[in-house]
Amino acid sequence: MNFAIKVLTSIRFAVATIGVIILVSVVGTLYPGGDIVFGSPLFLALIGILAISTALCSLTRIVPLWRDVRRPQVEVSDHFIQALPYAVHLSGVTLTQVRDSLKGYVIRETRTGKTTFFLAQKGRVGRFGPHIAHFGVLILLLGVAIGAAYGNVNPYNNKIAVIQEGGSQQVDGFALRLDDFNISYYNNGAVRDYTAKVTVLDGNLIQTYNVTVNGPLTHKGLTFYLYGYGVTQSGNAWVAFQIKSTSGLPFVWVGAAVALVGIMLSLYVPHKRIWIKESDQSTQLGAISNKSSARFFREVEGVRTKLESHAHRVDGTTGSEEI
Amino acid sequence: MDTVALEHLGFEIALGTYLISSILFILYFSIKKRRLAEMGFTLALFGFAFQTLALASRWLYAGYPPWVSTYEVMSFFAWAVMGAYVILNVKSDYKSAGVLIAPLAFVLLGFASMQPTNPAPLIPALQSVWIFIHVPIIILAYCAFVIAFVASLLYLFKDKQLTEARMTEGLNRQRDVASKDNTPPSRMPVEAGILANFSLEQLDDLAYKSVAVGFPLLTIGIITGAIWAESAWGSYWSWDPIETWALITWFVFLIYLHAKTQNWSASLAAYIAAFGFISAICTFLGVGYVLPFLQTYISVSTGLHGYAGGGAISGTVLFCGILVAVLLLLLATRKKPPNATRAPPAQTDAESGPTP
Repeated sequence: MNFAIKVLTSIRFAVATIGVIILVSVVGTLYPGGDIVFGSPLFLALIGILAISTALCSLTRIVPLWRDVRRPQVEVSDHFIQALPYAVHLSGVTLTQVRDSLKGYVIRETRTGKTTFFLAQKGRVGRFGPHIAHFGVLILLLGVAIGAAYGNVNPYNNKIAVIQEGGSQQVDGFALRLDDFNISYYNNGAVRDYTAKVTVLDGNLIQTYNVTVNGPLTHKGLTFYLYGYGVTQSGNAWVAFQIKSTSGLPFVWVGAAVALVGIMLSLYVPHKRIWIKESDQSTQLGAISNKSSARFFREVEGVRTKLESHAHRVDGTTGSEEI
Repeated sequence: MDTVALEHLGFEIALGTYLISSILFILYFSIKKRRLAEMGFTLALFGFAFQTLALASRWLYAGYPPWVSTYEVMSFFAWAVMGAYVILNVKSDYKSAGVLIAPLAFVLLGFASMQPTNPAPLIPALQSVWIFIHVPIIILAYCAFVIAFVASLLYLFKDKQLTEARMTEGLNRQRDVASKDNTPPSRMPVEAGILANFSLEQLDDLAYKSVAVGFPLLTIGIITGAIWAESAWGSYWSWDPIETWALITWFVFLIYLHAKTQNWSASLAAYIAAFGFISAICTFLGVGYVLPFLQTYISVSTGLHGYAGGGAISGTVLFCGILVAVLLLLLATRKKPPNATRAPPAQTDAESGPTP
């Protein structure tokens, strides 16, 4: 059991699963009719394993991450600061000055004896980006599952309703009447659009809509798509509507949106941290970011040079170090 | 001159200049005269300007943005790739990337030139606001993947060169020690060579940043495509080949991003990015399968994803073949004779002024 958890929570396993899904998908596109593979138990099992792995990866990591971000280690050793990718000794600069020149950082400070520990953080939400993305994908998959399950239950899902002009069709407690069907053309004779004017008759509710190729009609969890048309022998137009259940759809769209937000957060919001340890002897500063380090280090370097040159001007030792 | 003639003129000039630019860059990689790269870049700029003119003219007379028909999409893709290449060279010097960019733009324009060019009125299924959003977003995503691909290939190429140079230098030093020769050790040619303007770290960073732009764009592209499909024929996902390949591409770059956060080796990441791009190209050109599929699926709204027309399958195979061949060529063991490193840093590699 422990072994299973260990495997399922490993990123290597998740990546390997994605690799297998890629291979199966490639095979599915290689020959005509190969898309049958996407409904196969094998493929569903792979997606299921990936979903479980995704969920477990996030679940096991989010608690330590939350702890690390909410209650970070402020009191750190000299060795810790010196081991950070950006580490300097500040001369003639006080902690207060640094604090005042850092904009938009969340700051924690503690004192032990004569030593002050300081931690400034920015972009903590970026660390949660991957987990938000994972959560979004899981919501999306839930929506897909609901849609698939409900599709078998709702008798109208995937059915085609053929209605003659002037006629109507009873669907799931309400009726759909076709009032008019129109085809508009471009000057060169090509079809511009098909428009079916329909009326929904649902008890006291009587409402008219125009259904077009890109503009379906949704009523009571069922969506009607323009599917086909023709003319009867008596010269009457008929229109075929494909009926689809909308169940699960909100989950799919919300899941996709959440995943997108998570992806953007993880790619575009770097988690920046600056530790300072101020004691009688020295002031040390160390900085680290989980991405785009170069720009962040330039930012910190800018703050430092500005403060130090200011300090030197006040001391009357302008530029002596630089030359 | 009317806009139609202007479009054709701009297109032809761009096609010609991209070809000459490709030849110059390939020559540059074989004889390493810096001037050839400068000329190749200037020509590419020239072609880009004319292609901009061509696309703008077409937009004017067709009355809709130039990314609907096969001809337009291919041409727009070539333009966007060139645009990304130009932007890349504003602040840094990645002119050498032209050795891959210029031929790619030329091949895309070449494919475009084989397609019917007359603007057709939009068929009902394509009359959706999503066509103006979904298509350019996807193309910009692929554009970012092109840059990631180029950066990754240059990374692998440079990495290999550096390794070989270190090996030969080690050999030379051993020989120098053996003969008690006091001459200074031979200089590495790589730092003065065609890939000298950027470091491995820069290339790795460029590839990552390109994927960081391309991946969210591809995500948005897939989502907008699903919304469009849902509103057009009531199925947000139907595993048609282009949807499947878009998802495959998404998965490959998902692996890339996980490899990056896990600090797996940079060359492994470079290989993944390269394969992601090949998958993107398969998505882009693999549409030939889709049209017949859609025609049987729905009667009124044929033509979504139909931009590559019916005859693109052989093109896809050909193009993927070329790409795989390029990859293999660059990565296959192409050992240089050790004495090649004895040459002093070439004077010709010094920065020359802008080409008139």
